[in-house]
Amino acid sequence: MDLFANLWMGLSIALTPMNVLYLLAGAMIGMIVGIIPGFGPSAGLAILLPVTFGMDPVGAVVMLAAIYYASMYGGTITSILLNTPGESATVASTFDGYPLARQGRAGPALVMQAVASFVGGTVGVVLITLLAPLFALLARNFGPPEYFLLAMMGMLLLVVMVGGNWRLGVISALIGFALGTVGVDLETGQQRFTFGSAELIGGIDFIPVAIGLFGLGELYFSLWQGLHLSRTGSIVDYHRERRFWPEARDFIETRMTLVRGSLLGFVVGVIPGAGATIASLMSYSIEKSVSREPERFGKGAMAGLVGPEAANNAASAGAMVPLLTLGIPGSASTAVLLAAFLLWGLRPGPLLMSQNPEFAWGLIASMYLGNIALLALNIFAIPLFVWMVKTPYRILAPAVILVCTIGTYSVNGSIVETWLMFVAGIFGFFMKMFGFSPAALVLALVLGKLAEEALRQTLTISRGSFMIFLERPTSLWIIGITAAVLLVAPLLRRAQPRD
Amino acid sequence: MNRVSSMLKSALAAGALAAALALPVASAGPADAQDYPSKRLEWTIAFGPGGGNDIMSRTLIDILQKHKLYPENIVAENRAGGSGAVGWGYVFGKKGDPYQISSTSGSFVTTPLQADTPWKPTDFTPIALLASDDLVLLVKGDSEIETVQQFIEAAKKKPPTIGGIGAVNVDFIIPKILSKQAGFDFDYVSFNAAGELNTALLSNSLDAIMANPGEVLGLIESKDMRPLAYSGETTPPALGDVPTLKEAGYEIGVSLPRGLILPPDVPKEAQDWWIETIKKVVETPEWKDYLEKQILTENIRYGEDFRTFLKTTQDRFAEILREQGAIK
Amino acid sequence: MKRVFILAILALALGYTYFAFELSFLSSTGRLGPGFFPRVIGLGLIASCLYALAVEWRSGGTEAQERGLWGVAVRTALLSGLFVALLNVLGGLVAMIVFMLAALFMLNPGRVLQNLAVAFLLPIGIYVLFEFWLNAGIPQGMLPLPV
Repeated sequence: MDLFANLWMGLSIALTPMNVLYLLAGAMIGMIVGIIPGFGPSAGLAILLPVTFGMDPVGAVVMLAAIYYASMYGGTITSILLNTPGESATVASTFDGYPLARQGRAGPALVMQAVASFVGGTVGVVLITLLAPLFALLARNFGPPEYFLLAMMGMLLLVVMVGGNWRLGVISALIGFALGTVGVDLETGQQRFTFGSAELIGGIDFIPVAIGLFGLGELYFSLWQGLHLSRTGSIVDYHRERRFWPEARDFIETRMTLVRGSLLGFVVGVIPGAGATIASLMSYSIEKSVSREPERFGKGAMAGLVGPEAANNAASAGAMVPLLTLGIPGSASTAVLLAAFLLWGLRPGPLLMSQNPEFAWGLIASMYLGNIALLALNIFAIPLFVWMVKTPYRILAPAVILVCTIGTYSVNGSIVETWLMFVAGIFGFFMKMFGFSPAALVLALVLGKLAEEALRQTLTISRGSFMIFLERPTSLWIIGITAAVLLVAPLLRRAQPRD
Repeated sequence: MNRVSSMLKSALAAGALAAALALPVASAGPADAQDYPSKRLEWTIAFGPGGGNDIMSRTLIDILQKHKLYPENIVAENRAGGSGAVGWGYVFGKKGDPYQISSTSGSFVTTPLQADTPWKPTDFTPIALLASDDLVLLVKGDSEIETVQQFIEAAKKKPPTIGGIGAVNVDFIIPKILSKQAGFDFDYVSFNAAGELNTALLSNSLDAIMANPGEVLGLIESKDMRPLAYSGETTPPALGDVPTLKEAGYEIGVSLPRGLILPPDVPKEAQDWWIETIKKVVETPEWKDYLEKQILTENIRYGEDFRTFLKTTQDRFAEILREQGAIK
Repeated sequence: MKRVFILAILALALGYTYFAFELSFLSSTGRLGPGFFPRVIGLGLIASCLYALAVEWRSGGTEAQERGLWGVAVRTALLSGLFVALLNVLGGLVAMIVFMLAALFMLNPGRVLQNLAVAFLLPIGIYVLFEFWLNAGIPQGMLPLPV
């Protein structure tokens, strides 16, 4: 078959010693830029871009793509161990990953994140191999009305995200929406709440807010609780001999979560502009809403970690679909990859895969290998990371502040964003203490901006008519699926036996 | 390896920087003017790594070093933030220092219109405009419209929706000027990035888009999109026989500057030295290759001509954006 | 404390809403303008803060839950704020060392050697990682220091 011939050719290219070396180098670098809070894959890619000038395009793309998906693995490690997202798509992994680590299950949490990342990444590559043209059709049919409906689907999930105290949850979400309106208004070009500052034209970036709210906020809270004075002095209770591997229960409980997270992540990842962050936050909300024990979420539910992890890795694979089949970048990271394609003398677009099969299939084949390598690398590296975090908290805490601050600064070299992270940290401390929902805030920050922009684009296109949502086949599909889920989900949950 | 040598260079640069900082900045008096350049050059890139401005700067630095056109070391620094306000603000603050240089791109014109920057594009000492970012007007591949004339005829009957990136940008200014001259109305739909813009056209959400040729070339080749006209002075070879808007009878005269600048009040000798050097740079095969791969329009204007170009561009921008209420 | 925090959010919400009303509600073509959503969000935020305050007042205080080590939390927060402020003055490396020294001697008093070692080695390591290996900008500082 054509498909297997292509894949075989790809494998034979990806397995040449030089390309394996590039793959491993990319995976290592991706892990490291993923781990450093603030410093994400797009920054890592951009830094290594000049190195690839004059390299063979296949080796170059194998390396750069590995940086991209490896950062999804690496970004979670600090989410779990320090409640500090390494990059934006791993914010959702702090919600249950960190509670798990605090309960002495850092080992299982890290192993499960590696497994979930591997499953998500691999399901993603399988879907690219088999069905890339089909999913390209999805990306092709996504216009502003569909983006608006997607954002609305996400908003429905906000209800789940809000948490125990709904009054405070609503305030949290509204703050997120308000932050999303800062910056230049996309439609008219007017400035909103920027007060003449050039740094705010581009709006409030997600990453400083997330690092502040979760990373610094949690840190101040832990000091307030006196964690640095505790007997062991460290935040994770971990023994290498005991409780390193997950229990069979962890796998059985999360098997459907893996499937849901991977599929959802891939589909959202395919859509340009939606991406891994939205995919992982949506996956978390979905897991919480279908769970029989939603009250365990936020307190160390394995499904709350596995879902987002499968989703963000599948999304990073999904983002390759529009890039390879249409030459359309879906995110800041894939935009850097696209720039690289041009520099290497390739012409990204619908003909890329037929004109440069060795390039496209070499990349796809390398992603299978990359995910296997990363699974092994992650599991082997766990003791090292845990050892680092076992440093007494009175020494670890200043180090975390240091890395968060420098990491945030270095992304855009912006002191304004560094201040933003600091203020978000103070805010996060009080939100945590009083039972607000930082999770709802970040979800609202991401979705609010998308929803407003997409709605206003849609109404310009339709000249003010809302009928446009019913006139477009893809829109109708999204409405249909949402309605079906809303109707069927409660029935399903009732049908499940409580044990 | 390249990487290692650049690391060494940065290490040396750190030491040299300390020495440079310890000296008063105003040492660049007329006494030095004869032996310019005799010091390390600091090259500010006002954006992060990997973007258009960054790639152009690094290409230029490579050419200067490879052809030994600049005798001393060159250190590139990414000073990103505030859509260029941070980086160009830094260069602006180095008044009179001929060892500071920066490259310009679209935001050089648009950012000062949007925010309270202490500098205007015309404040700097202009070296040269090298190329310009121009856009191509596209419809979907299966559209009935085949030429820009047909597009305008159809637009006069029913105002089209035209998409582009950002509201304070050439993407909006160019169709606006065209519509005024040709006498039609349109609704502009603004997007954040090329990805969403391109899918909006492919998903039948828009009638037309304005796009950077490099970002749609593949989609043009596969006949998913059809180019109608190009806004620059001459159509790049990669686009084939697409007419320019000028050939179609419309005078646009707006494009975004990719050029080089020095801080304000730099000695005339330094400016002249750079103009002579750039004349050599633009003849190199590496520069031609860069223009071809990035699909930029070559558009060379030296010294004061560049300043005039910046002034005209910014005035046109300001006029149209003020009409729209986008800026005050 | 909780009431004070909600009051602070309310104050910010009032400011936000004030500026939201300066933006046009509808665009020149009669569609949703730049001020449409900010006004809705601002008013919603004010309403939800007022409601939450009313509920808090009726339920009495939450002082019992608010007992913790305020001193150390506030001092650490102040130090991290000072660190951000010093970044552009002293430059990244020196600011990092100064911050680490201050924070370590506060949180980990008595262990002089350990603190000195961490406060110098970690910033130098991070400096090398970011400045040379990642090639990402670390703040340069305004003083003519040798880094």
